[in-house]
Amino acid sequence: MLALAITNGLVIGMIYALTALGVSLVVGIMNVVNFAHGEFYILAGYFSYIFAHTMGFDPFAAMFIAVCAVFLFGVLVEYTIIRPTYGDELYSLILTFILSIVLQNAYLLIFGPYPNKPPNWVSGATNVFGLFYYGNQRLAALAAGVAVIVLFFAMLKMTWFGRMIRATSQDREMAELNGINTKRLNMLSFGLGCALAGAAGVILAPVFPVTPTAGVPLALTAFVCVVLGGMGSMRGCIVGGLILGLVENLGAAYVSTGYKHVFMFIILILVLLVRPSGLFGRSEA
Amino acid sequence: MNRNKWLLSAAILAFALLPLGLGTYHQHILIVSLFYVMMAASWNLLAGYTGQVSFGHAAFAGIGAYASGILATKAGFNPWLGVMAGTMLATAFGFLVGLLCLKMGGIYLSLTTLAFSSILHIVINNEYEITRGTMGLQVPGLVAEYSKISYFYIFLVATLLVLGVIYRMVHANMGLNFRAVQNDERAAASLGVNVVRVRVMAFTVSSAMAGLAGALYGHYLLLVTPQIPSLDQQFLVLSMTVIGGLGSFVGPIIGAISLEILSEYIRAYGEYHVLFFGLVALTVARFAPKGLVGIYQSARERRMQAVAKTSPAVNR
Repeated sequence: MLALAITNGLVIGMIYALTALGVSLVVGIMNVVNFAHGEFYILAGYFSYIFAHTMGFDPFAAMFIAVCAVFLFGVLVEYTIIRPTYGDELYSLILTFILSIVLQNAYLLIFGPYPNKPPNWVSGATNVFGLFYYGNQRLAALAAGVAVIVLFFAMLKMTWFGRMIRATSQDREMAELNGINTKRLNMLSFGLGCALAGAAGVILAPVFPVTPTAGVPLALTAFVCVVLGGMGSMRGCIVGGLILGLVENLGAAYVSTGYKHVFMFIILILVLLVRPSGLFGRSEA
Repeated sequence: MNRNKWLLSAAILAFALLPLGLGTYHQHILIVSLFYVMMAASWNLLAGYTGQVSFGHAAFAGIGAYASGILATKAGFNPWLGVMAGTMLATAFGFLVGLLCLKMGGIYLSLTTLAFSSILHIVINNEYEITRGTMGLQVPGLVAEYSKISYFYIFLVATLLVLGVIYRMVHANMGLNFRAVQNDERAAASLGVNVVRVRVMAFTVSSAMAGLAGALYGHYLLLVTPQIPSLDQQFLVLSMTVIGGLGSFVGPIIGAISLEILSEYIRAYGEYHVLFFGLVALTVARFAPKGLVGIYQSARERRMQAVAKTSPAVNR
C-alpha cells in the first residue's frame, strides 16, 4: 500500500512538475501567470487522440505533431492576446482567465463532454520489486516525463537559447542591452511553456483521458507547485511537483480519497503563511 | 449636482415601477440582473478600485447561499436570519482570505482565491449529505407567498444598499486610498496609506456583498446548487464588469444588466452562450480594456476635441 502510493505519487508528481515547468518558465520571463495553461494540456491530449485514433497515425508521431501544434497555438496566443499586457499583471490575469473559459467551452462544442483517450503505447503490467503490479503505461509515462524534463534542463543549461532564457528571467533590461530580442523571446518561451503543458498532456492522456474541463485541477496544481517551489524557479517546480504528487497520493491512501485535492491547498496556505517566496524563491525586495 | 440627484431618483423610480407592467418571465430577468449588478459591482470594488483580481467572488456568493440554505433547512432558521448569517460567514471568510493574501501582490491573491473556490467545490461535492451535492439543496423562500414582484423589491433594496455603500467608499477619502493602492502600492505606502488595511478592508466588504447577493439568490431560486459558486459564474461576473468598464462606478451596472438580457436572448442556442460571452469578453478586454464606459468616454472626448477645433472661440 505504501509503496504503491509512493509510486503513484512519483508518476503524478512528475506530471505536475512538467506542467508547472511551463507555468514557471512563462512567469520567470514574462511575469505572466497563464490561467489557460491547463487548456493547452487538454488541447494536446485531444490532438494526439485525433491524430492517432481518427487519422490513424503512429501514436508517437501523433504525440510529436500534437506538441508542435500546441507550440504554434501558444505562439499565436502570445502574439494576438498576451502581447499588449506586458507590465500589467492584472490585465494578463483577466485575459488568460477569459481565454481558459473560452477554450473549455470550445472543446465542449467540438469534442463533446465525453472523455477521449489516445491509444496506449504499451500494454500489460510489471511486478515492481515483487511488491505490487503496476501498469506498464504508467511506468512508460514516468520515463517519458523524466526524459522531457532532462531534455528541457539540458536545453536550459547547454544551448544558446537556454542561456537567453536564463539571462532574461534574471534581468530583463540587462538582457536587452546585450542584444537579446526579448519580444521574440517572449513569443518563443510562451510557446515553449505551452508545449511543455502539451508534452504533459500527450504523456498523461492515455492514463487519464481528457475532458473539456479536466485541465482546471491540473493547472491549479501547477500553480500551487510554482508557488511552493518559488515563482520562476525551475528547480523548485520539480521538487514542488514531486512533493505535491506524494502528499496527494499518501493523503488519498491514508486519510481521505474525496479530499485528496484539498491537501495541496493546505500546503499552499502554509507556504503563503510561512514562506511566501517558496522553497527556492528569490524573495522580492 | 441637484439636477443629477433628481435624475437619479427618477431613474430609480422608473426602474422600481418597471416590473409592474411586465410578465413573470421578464420580472425574472430583472431579478437575475439585479443579482448580477450586486456581484459585478462588488467584484469591481475589488478588481477595479484596488487592483486585486479575485477568482473567488462566486465562491463567497456560494458560502452565503449554502450557509443560509443549510441553516434554514437543517436548523429551522428563519430565512431572513439565514441571509444575515450567510452574509456574516462570507464576511468572516473574506476577512481571513484577505489576511492570508495581504503580504503578497496580485498573482498570489488570484491563485489563492482560485484555490479557495476549488476547495469549496470539493467540500460541497463530498459533503452531499448536508449540501445535497450537484442535486441541489431545496431551501424555503423569503416571503410567505411566492411572488416575483416581492422578490424584485427585495433585490432592488439590497442592490441599492450595495451600490450606495460602494459609492460612499469610492468617493470618500477611502476611495482615494483605494486608487492610490492600485496605481502604485509603494508610493501610496510612502504617503501614509495603510496599504494592507485598505486591501483587506476592500476584500472583506466585497466578500460580504457577494455573500448577501448569493444568499438572496438562493432563496429566490429555492434551490442552492454548486452552480452558484462555480467558475462559470465567476467568469460571467468578470466579463460583465470587464465589458461594462472595469474601475468605473456605472460600468458593472451597465455590463450586468445588458449581458443578462443578452444572455436570455441567446439562451436559445443552448450551452454555447458561455462560449459566445467568452469571445465577446475576450475581444472587449483585448481591444477596449476600459469596456463600454471607456468607449463612450473616448468617443465623447473626441467629439469635444472636434468641437474645440471647429470653434476656437470655445476655450475647452
